[in-house]
Amino acid sequence: MDMVSMGLLAAMGALATIAGTSEDLESDVGSQSNPNSQVQLAAQVGHTHRIYNKAISGEPPSNALYAALAAVTASVLMSDPYGMNAFFSIAVGALVAAVFNGILSMTSYMGRNTSQARFNQHVYLDVLRSHTTTIMAHAYITAFCVVAISYIMTAPWLPIQHPFPLPVIAFTWGIALGAIGSSTGDVHYGAEREFQQYPFGAGLNAANSGDIVTKAEAGLRSSIDNAWFCAKFGGPVTGLAFGLIVFLDNWRTTIFDPATQGWYAILTGILIVILLNVYNRILEIRSKKRYGPYPEYVGDIKA
Amino acid sequence: MSTFDASTLVYVLQIVIGGLLVGIGVHFVPVGGAPAAMAQATGVGTGTVQLATGSGLTGLISAGLMMSVTDNILLIVLSGAVGAMIMIDVTMLVGNWVYIYGVGVPPVAAKTDYDPITKDPQPPYISPGTVGHGVPTVSYVSGTIGGLMGGAGGSLIYYALMNINGVSGLSAFFAIGIFVVNAVIASYNIQGTIEGFHDPKFKRVPRAVQACFVATLIIGIFAVLIHGGA
Repeated sequence: MDMVSMGLLAAMGALATIAGTSEDLESDVGSQSNPNSQVQLAAQVGHTHRIYNKAISGEPPSNALYAALAAVTASVLMSDPYGMNAFFSIAVGALVAAVFNGILSMTSYMGRNTSQARFNQHVYLDVLRSHTTTIMAHAYITAFCVVAISYIMTAPWLPIQHPFPLPVIAFTWGIALGAIGSSTGDVHYGAEREFQQYPFGAGLNAANSGDIVTKAEAGLRSSIDNAWFCAKFGGPVTGLAFGLIVFLDNWRTTIFDPATQGWYAILTGILIVILLNVYNRILEIRSKKRYGPYPEYVGDIKA
Repeated sequence: MSTFDASTLVYVLQIVIGGLLVGIGVHFVPVGGAPAAMAQATGVGTGTVQLATGSGLTGLISAGLMMSVTDNILLIVLSGAVGAMIMIDVTMLVGNWVYIYGVGVPPVAAKTDYDPITKDPQPPYISPGTVGHGVPTVSYVSGTIGGLMGGAGGSLIYYALMNINGVSGLSAFFAIGIFVVNAVIASYNIQGTIEGFHDPKFKRVPRAVQACFVATLIIGIFAVLIHGGA
């Protein structure tokens, strides 16, 4: 372990935290991923809305696509005939990914909303103009950070020297990041923000499916309002999750050289896993104690 | 044209074992699909394939790094397993933060009255109109086992392919492909959602073993041939 490696590891953790946050907010602005089911259902149960509705694919494949696109572009620009500086190459790569994201988002929004014309759901051009650029901006940040992490892991002049080529490692981190964003931050959007008219402290009752909030404090709610709300909790914790994963996974191979101390690296990883299991149990006990059983519960099993 | 030798069989066998580990491992991963994203079902609020692939591929990154410095199969496979376990554990933990602090619901399983590990009663904590929410201890432990098996399986496939061609990028991509095929087959078997090893759907594992075996065997033979084995 040397100071440069630790510094790079810290930079990777920070980049991952930013990537996670922007990835989650990008999916919240666009209503991608699982909460999209409620946006899609809303018009069909009589709630027309001005929420952006894109479901390009699940988040992992779409993020893998953007990250791989950005990484391929950056790789080409950095390679021989062009020889562009890594920083600018990654920036151009992320721009290409953001443009692709914009194209897919727009076609997705228009396709989904026109298909719901029979439920009086409109295509709002102002929503398309204002939201698509917001989505692209977040996608740009995500792609830039993921490719930067991958570059730190693969650059020939840096210490980590991962054997995978830049696009493959960016693709892999893209899938992992999408899986994390879809699993963590989206719950804050789907279970809380979309259904704020129902009391805090309960999951969505199946009978209320599709009854999403369509009105804002003033006027109609837009997806940028949703990103504002989720940026307070869902986005940052998603960033924390991805940051922790990138940091912890690489930390154990930074403090212990895998070539000579591989077993220590694995044992450290197992210790981390055990600690995470214990902490989750503590979290479960505390939450049940704090919230208590539901008053509506009428079964025989005592809490 | 190269000739067939015993090592080809070993590589195919390693790929098949890796595929089976992935297929079985996916059954352990607690996923609630779209309903879980609305705190309507127990498990992580995403798709089975997505979470399993995300964790397995994080393991693949760890295994790839390990394989660049050692040939020890145990180190490589365990490194992949640990990487996948860290990914899935952090994801489930942060998912629980969102359920507990963001939505205000405690983690609870609906497919069992008492948590098989902690013996905690479950039904009183299920909010009305839902089938559980969050990742309770039994699901968390189950997810950790799923990460272990998925990460180990993906790494074993990568190890076999790397021994044939020595090109990490190509091997990684084939390993990702074989991983996803097995994850999708397992996902069909559990129909998208499962709470963990205590879920009645878990009893369907033998069926997935058969399907994953056939699929991985065919892919394994082609992968070995394409990569220059035999």
